[in-house]
Amino acid sequence: MDKDNHCVVGARKGSWLRLMAGWLSLLALLAVLLPIEAQAIPIYARQTGQNCLACHAGGQFPELTPYGRIFKLTGYTMGNRVEVPLAMMAVVSATSVASKTPGTGDTNADFPQNGLMHFTTASLFAGGKITDNIGMFGQWTYNAYAQQDADGHWAGHSGSDQFDLRYADRFIDDQRDLIVGASLNNNPGVTDVWNTFDSAFASTPSYVPVSNPGGNGGPFAGVPAAPIMLQLGPVAAGVSAYAFWNQTVYAELGFYQTANRALSFLSQGVPDSDMPKLKGNASPYWRLALNHDWGPHSAMVGLFGFDTEIYANSPATSGPTTHYRDVGVDAQYQYILDPHVFSAQFSYIRENQSYSEELWNPTNPNYTGNYVNGSNTLAFLRMKGTYVYRAKYGVSLAYAAVNGSADALAYNNSPDGSGNPVPFGNANSTPNTRLWIPEVFWNPIQNVRVGLQYYKFTQYNGSSGNYDGNGRNASDNNTAFLYVWGAY
Amino acid sequence: MTMKTIHMAAALLLGAMAAGCANVERSRDLGNPNVAPEVTAVQVCSACHGVTGISVSPNFPRLAGQQADYIEQQLKNFRSHQRSDPEGFEYMWGISRKLTDEQIKGLAGYFAKQTSTPNTYLHVVANAEQLSEGKKIFETGVAAKETPPCQACHGPKGEGMAAFPRLADQHQDYMAKQLLVFRDTNGRPGTPMEQISHSLTPEQIYSVTAYLQSLPR
Repeated sequence: MDKDNHCVVGARKGSWLRLMAGWLSLLALLAVLLPIEAQAIPIYARQTGQNCLACHAGGQFPELTPYGRIFKLTGYTMGNRVEVPLAMMAVVSATSVASKTPGTGDTNADFPQNGLMHFTTASLFAGGKITDNIGMFGQWTYNAYAQQDADGHWAGHSGSDQFDLRYADRFIDDQRDLIVGASLNNNPGVTDVWNTFDSAFASTPSYVPVSNPGGNGGPFAGVPAAPIMLQLGPVAAGVSAYAFWNQTVYAELGFYQTANRALSFLSQGVPDSDMPKLKGNASPYWRLALNHDWGPHSAMVGLFGFDTEIYANSPATSGPTTHYRDVGVDAQYQYILDPHVFSAQFSYIRENQSYSEELWNPTNPNYTGNYVNGSNTLAFLRMKGTYVYRAKYGVSLAYAAVNGSADALAYNNSPDGSGNPVPFGNANSTPNTRLWIPEVFWNPIQNVRVGLQYYKFTQYNGSSGNYDGNGRNASDNNTAFLYVWGAY
Repeated sequence: MTMKTIHMAAALLLGAMAAGCANVERSRDLGNPNVAPEVTAVQVCSACHGVTGISVSPNFPRLAGQQADYIEQQLKNFRSHQRSDPEGFEYMWGISRKLTDEQIKGLAGYFAKQTSTPNTYLHVVANAEQLSEGKKIFETGVAAKETPPCQACHGPKGEGMAAFPRLADQHQDYMAKQLLVFRDTNGRPGTPMEQISHSLTPEQIYSVTAYLQSLPR
C-alpha cells in the first residue's frame, strides 16, 4: 500500500489496442509458466513451509484466516528462521477513466498514465521470525510514477511502507489461551488481524495512485476524504500492546507520535517537509474486538478509536492545530472450507475535527481562513464481500460512502495554478461520495494474481451530476483498473 | 507516553533481539530439536487442531484420541512428502519438515492421550436415511462392490487400531475429502483404502462419513 501521491502532469499517450496486446503477451507468459508450481514464495511461506492460503483466506492477500491471525499475533514466530528473510512484490497495471473532460484542458495532467499499461509499484519485504518471541514485517515500496522532475519526466520514489516489529508470548494449556504482545509500528491499523483496516478493502493491489480521482492515493482509492487514522501512512510511529484471550476477546492500546528524529527509519522516504506533525508523543489508538470461531465460520465485531492533534502548519510544530477524534465500529465474517471461501468486512468510522480558532474565526487577529466551521464531522463507511473458489477464481463487491459536514473552505473549487478548473473540484462544499467496486480476479499460481476492478461512482463531492459546477458528473470518474500482481 | 518511553521500548526490543533469547518452554520454533513436543503441540499444532486435538474448523482433522501409530506415520509421510493430498501439501509439509523422529513420536503421544468428545457440528446435516445407509456401510460394507465394512479395521466403535486411524467423531468434511483422495488420486499411496474406496459413490461417501462423525458411543 503505497501512500505516495505526487501526481502532477502526464506526458504519454497510449491506445487500448496497444494495452490489450501487452496484456495478452503477459497472459501468454503466465500460461507458459502455469505448469511450474512455484517453489520459492515469500518470507512467511518460506518460514513455515506452508502454502499462502494457510494464512491468507482463499490465497488472497492480505486477508488473514483464523490461523493467519494467530501467526501474526504470536509475532510471526511460528516456523523455522529463514536464512535470507527477504521477499519481493510487484504490480503492473493500467487504468481507464470514463471521461477525461471537463478538466483543466490538459487530459494528461488530469489523468496521468490513463490507458497505459505500466510498471506501477514494487515492494521489498524484510522480516519473519527473529527469536522465539520476536518477529517482524517490514515493507519498503518503490512507486515508479511517484513524482515528476522539472522537465516533466516521471521519477520513481521509494520509502517505508508498512512496518511491524513484534514481541509476543503465548500462555496456553487446556484451561486458558492468552496471547500477549507489543508492536513497534508506523501507523494505527498495521497491527490489524481482522482485515477491516485499509488494505483489505482496497484489495490487492490497491488502486493505482497516478490516475486516482480525487488525487488521494489512499487509504481507500477514489474517495476525496477519509479519517485521519487511515491516512497517516508511514509517518506515525507508535508502540502498542495487545492481548487476545481464549481467541475471544482482543484488546489493544497504542500511542503514536510523528516518525521523525530517532524514529525516522519508520518514515524513510517521506521528506520532513511532507510530514504532518502530530502534537505530543502519545496520540492514543485503542481497539476492542470479540471473536468467535465455529465450524468453518469465523466472526468478529469490534470498536476502535484514535485521537490526535496535528499542526495545521506542518511541518512546523507550532501554531494552530486540528484535533481529530475517530471512533469506529467494525465487523468481519469468514467462511473457509475448501474449495470455498466467502468473507465479508464492514467498517464505519466517525471523525470529529475541531480547529484552533485562528483556522476558522474571522475575528481572530491571526485568522487563516482554512474553515468556515469551528468543527466538522466526517463519516466513512466501507463494506466488502468476496467469494473465492479453489483459491484461484474470485469475485468481490465493495462499497464506500463518505459523508461530511458542509464547509465551503474545507471543500472548495480551487482552480489549478493557471486558473483552470480541476476535474475533481467541489461546488457543493461537502465530500459526500458513494462508490461501488466490483472485481474479478484469478490466481493462476499462488503468488500471481490478475484482476480487474471497476470503480463506479454514484455520487462525488456532494452530487451525482455537475459536482464541480463545470458540468463534470460523478460517473465521469468511473474507472476500470486492470492489474497483474506478483510476489516472490 | 513520552519519547523516552518509546525509545526505551524500542531499546528493549532490540536488546531482546540481540540476546537471541530462546524461550523453549513456549517456543513456536519448528526447527529446534530442543523444543518439547508438548510445547509444539500447544504453541503450534493447536492453531488448527485445537489444544486438546479438538479442531474447530472441519478443514483440519481432529486428533484427540487418535491412534499414536497413525499420527506418527502420517507426520513421517508429510515430512518425506509421501503423503501429498492438498491439505497435507498446503499445511503439513512445512510444519513437519524439520521435526525429529523423537518430536514426532512425542506429538503423536500427546494427541493420542487426549479425550475425544462427540462432534456435534455437521457441515451439511444428514437425514435419517443417509445415517442408516452410513451405518450399513460401516457395519457390513457394500457387498455388491466388495467393499469391506469399515469396522473390520477401524474397530466396532470407530476407535481405530495402531496404523488404522480413529474415525469416530472425526469431521465429516475431512473424511469425505480424504476418501476422494484415496479414490481418485495417488496422494496417499500404500494403504488398502485406495482399493476399498475406488467404487464408492459420492452419496455413499457422504452417508458413511456423516455416520462416522456422529457415531454412537
